[in-house]
Parts: sequence; C-alpha cells; structure tokens
Amino acid sequence: MIELTGVSKSFNGQVILDNVNLKVAAGEILVILGESGTGKSVLLKHMIGLIRPDAGEVKIEGKNIAHHTERQLLKLRKDIGFVFQEGALYDFMNCYDNIAFPLREHTKLKEKEISDKIGKVLTLLDLKKVEAKMPAELSGGMKKRVALARAIVLDSKILFCDEPTSGLDPIRSRDISNLIRDISRQLHCTTVITSHNVRNALRVADRIILIAKGRIVFDGKGDEFRGSDKEEIQEFLV
Amino acid sequence: MKTLIHSLTGFIKGTGDALWFLGDVVLGNILCFRVRIGEVLKQIYEQGVQSVVIISLTALASGVVLALQGYAAISRFGAKEVVPLMVGLTLVRELGPVFAALVFSGKAGARITAELGTMNVNDQIVATRTMGVDPVEFLVVPRFLATVLVLPILTILAEIIGIAGGYFIGVYEAHVPGQFYLNLTFEAIRWVDFFSGFIKVFFFSFFIAWICCYQGYTTRGGSLGVGRFTTKAVAYSYITIIISNAFLTKFILTLWG
Ligand SMILES: Nc1ncnc2c1ncn2[C@@H]1O[C@H](COP(=O)(O)OP(=O)(O)OP(=O)(O)O)[C@@H](O)[C@H]1O
Ligand SMILES: [Mg+2]
Repeated sequence: MIELTGVSKSFNGQVILDNVNLKVAAGEILVILGESGTGKSVLLKHMIGLIRPDAGEVKIEGKNIAHHTERQLLKLRKDIGFVFQEGALYDFMNCYDNIAFPLREHTKLKEKEISDKIGKVLTLLDLKKVEAKMPAELSGGMKKRVALARAIVLDSKILFCDEPTSGLDPIRSRDISNLIRDISRQLHCTTVITSHNVRNALRVADRIILIAKGRIVFDGKGDEFRGSDKEEIQEFLV
Repeated sequence: MKTLIHSLTGFIKGTGDALWFLGDVVLGNILCFRVRIGEVLKQIYEQGVQSVVIISLTALASGVVLALQGYAAISRFGAKEVVPLMVGLTLVRELGPVFAALVFSGKAGARITAELGTMNVNDQIVATRTMGVDPVEFLVVPRFLATVLVLPILTILAEIIGIAGGYFIGVYEAHVPGQFYLNLTFEAIRWVDFFSGFIKVFFFSFFIAWICCYQGYTTRGGSLGVGRFTTKAVAYSYITIIISNAFLTKFILTLWG
C-alpha cells in the first residue's frame, strides 16, 4: 500500500531522515513514535508528497510519487485524508462548510446528499451541534474531531494523522485514539499516525515504529515494543 | 563585499521566486480559466466595500485642499476660472490614481497579506494541498483578480468625489456659480487627461495584487511572521507605486504630452 525505500532527507545540511525503509500494509494501523523533532512529521509529509525525498522512493499503491508533479499529486491526494497537528481548518468557514469542502470539490453530490453524508460522519465522530460554529469557537479536542471528519468524508482509503492527541488531556486523547481506531477499522483505512505518547500508541497501533536520529530503531507489534530491552525504547517507556 | 554579494544573490533569488509565483498565478491559472467566479465576486465585494469609505474620504479631502490652495494662490492674480481646471486635472492625471492606490494597498493589500499569511502559518494552505485542491487557484487567484478589478473602479469613484470636493469649495467658499464650475471642469478635462492617469491604475493594481499575494503566500514564522510580512507587503507596495508612478508619468508624457 505504502512503501518507502531508502528515503533520505536533510534540511540545511542537517540530516533528518537517513535511508528509511518502511512498508505499510493495506488496512494496517501504524504508529510512528519518536521524540519531538526527530522527523515524524517530515516522514509523514513524504508519504503524501508535501516534502520530496533527497534520495529514495515513496510508493503509494505501487506508484512512485517522489517525482510526481504537483498536479499529479493533487489528483492522488483526493483519496488520502490528512489530519494536521493543529487541525488546519479553514477559519473563514463554519464547520459544516469545512467538512463539506472536499465533497464540493471532488464530487458532484447535491447539497441534500452532502448534508446527509455530513450528518453520518458527524454521528460517527460523536460531534453534535457544531455545524454552524466557526473553528475558532471550538475546543482543541473538537477541532481535531472536525478535522478528522473532513479527512474521512470522502471515504479515503488512506488516513494520515499528525499528532492527533498532542495538547489534549489524557481522557480526551484516549477518546481520540479509540475513535481513530474504530474509524479506520470501519472504513478499512490504511492509517499512519505520529505520536510521542506511548500509551495512546499502544492503544491504537497494529504496529509501531520508533524513530531516533533519522533511522527506524524499532519496528514491531505493541507487545514486542513493551517487552523490548533496547536502550532507546526503555528511555521512551519511562 | 561578501555581504553585498550575499544580499544581491538574495535579491535575485527573491525576484525569481516572485516571478515564478506570478507565472503560476497568471499563466498556470488565470489564462487556463482556472478561476472561481464565486470566490472572485466575494473578494471584490469585500475589498471594494472595505476600501470605499476611506478612499472616498481621502479623495474628498484632497479635492477640498486643492481647491482651497488654488483659490488662495489665485486671489493674488485674479483668474478664478483656472481653479476648477487645476483641481480636475491634478486629480485625474495624478492624485486620484496615486492616492487611491496608496490607500488601497494599506487597506485591502494589507488585509490580503495578513489573511494569506495567517492561513499559511496555521497550515491551512498546506492543508488545501493535502485535500487535492490547488491553494493558488482557491485562495490566491480570487484575491489577485479582485484587486486588479476593484482598484480601477475605486479610482474613478475617487476622482468624481475629489472633483465634488473642489466644487463644494468653489461654490460655498469662492462663490463661483455651480454650473459654471462644472462646465469649466468638464471643458478642461479631455479624454487624454483621463486615460493618462487611468492607465497607471492598472499597473498599480497589478503590482499591489502581485506583491501582497506573494508576501502572504510566502509568510513564515507564526504571528510575528504575519506582522512582518504584512508590513513588508505594504512598504513594498508604497515604494513600487511611487517609483513606478515617476517612470509611468515620464513615459506617458513623452507619448501623449
Ligand atoms: N521545511 C523545513 N525546513 C527546514 N527544517 C525543517 C522543515 N521541516 C522540518 N524541519 C526540521 O526537521 C526536524 C524534524 O521536524 P519534524 O516536524 O518532523 O519533527 P517531529 O518529530 O514531528 O516533532 P514533533 O513531535 O514536535 O511534532 C526539526 O529539527 C525541524 O526543525
Ligand atoms: Mg510533528
């Protein structure tokens, strides 16, 4: 589904990713763990073509997107949902229009059908009475859920979430984690999440990778991660 | 020497990037009919309505001041008939276009940069790309086109209101008959006068649109960045308007006299 081979990236001479190899299977939920500033977001942005690798290949469903033009990428991204760390909702539209945006852009649905579709998504995400609100009027957790709604409203087969739980209290982050897991199971999404919260990572992940110094230092199931005695992981578990 | 070369390469690179951006906006979108009419109309409404009051006030005050000074100067020689002509020609050939452009860039231009800049630092522009929509087409082109279209209209409005300001002074201060004042004005202003000023507006509005959209689209560095890029956009617009006006005036005078 998603395959990175030998991906390297530096910014201003500073190596962020160093020959990263990674395969994500269809329907899998992968969590990328790592300390702040290790390049989790950079890795995620490679998978959707927002950043191009200095070297290596990024394949989405068999197509190497590393050298796609922006127009080709735009087409490809219609089938991918991406949730930004801060939500990145349009602040000049209310929540309804925000969620409707991908539908209005990429489908020929009538307003009635759009409204039905949004009703469904909002129920799925347990969002009530937010339609008329502007993003600035929402709490952090609600913003993330609306952003998630916008990302899945086109029934994307791939879902990327950048730090969906950061900045939330433990209860909210647990809810969001469970929600993402439920949704990606229901919609059969291939899901990649970045996080530095181990507990939430273990809660959602089918598989976890840990990044340190630009390399993947662990790749395996949650239990293996907990049981590992590698120094980097022990550091992370404390 | 090193810093000179450094700033020179920086300048060339900056201009290159800005040209590339302009090419994307004009060649990549507008000329390919990737234009969202609804969004353009919304922007025209917002920019136009937002600037109408301040531009009208500026124009009215300029007309009043021109007329006051005109009558004060002319009282030493007689020849009151020259004042409507002076007010009208000054407004139509120079002050109308230049003042409208300056005020507009401080109001609507700053707003464009601040809006796009804020969207940029909040990831809304990148988010647009992740949703498979070109942010230039969706967010930049409507603002660009609206600016190019609105400013000429506002300029005509400014010129009319400026002349009205002069008329007001002529009639109530200098006690010139109103019809006489208007006749003098319209006899004085020929089409060539009007167009020699009006042509400039298209250059100004194009520069404002380009500068302010580009600065907003490349804003970095959080809320501080938004402030920095917005002031930069306004400053660049002012400088560009004033300097290009000098060249345009010279060019137009050579051409038409
Ligand atoms: N566009 C860019 N230009 C230059 N440097 C960048 C850019 N994007 C990221 N970096 C650098 O890459 C490094 C990794 O950034 P990244 O955002 O991927 O970290 P992260 O692991 O997601 O951290 P966090 O958990 O805080 O979100 C940082 O040192 C950052 O400064
Ligand atoms: Mg990050």
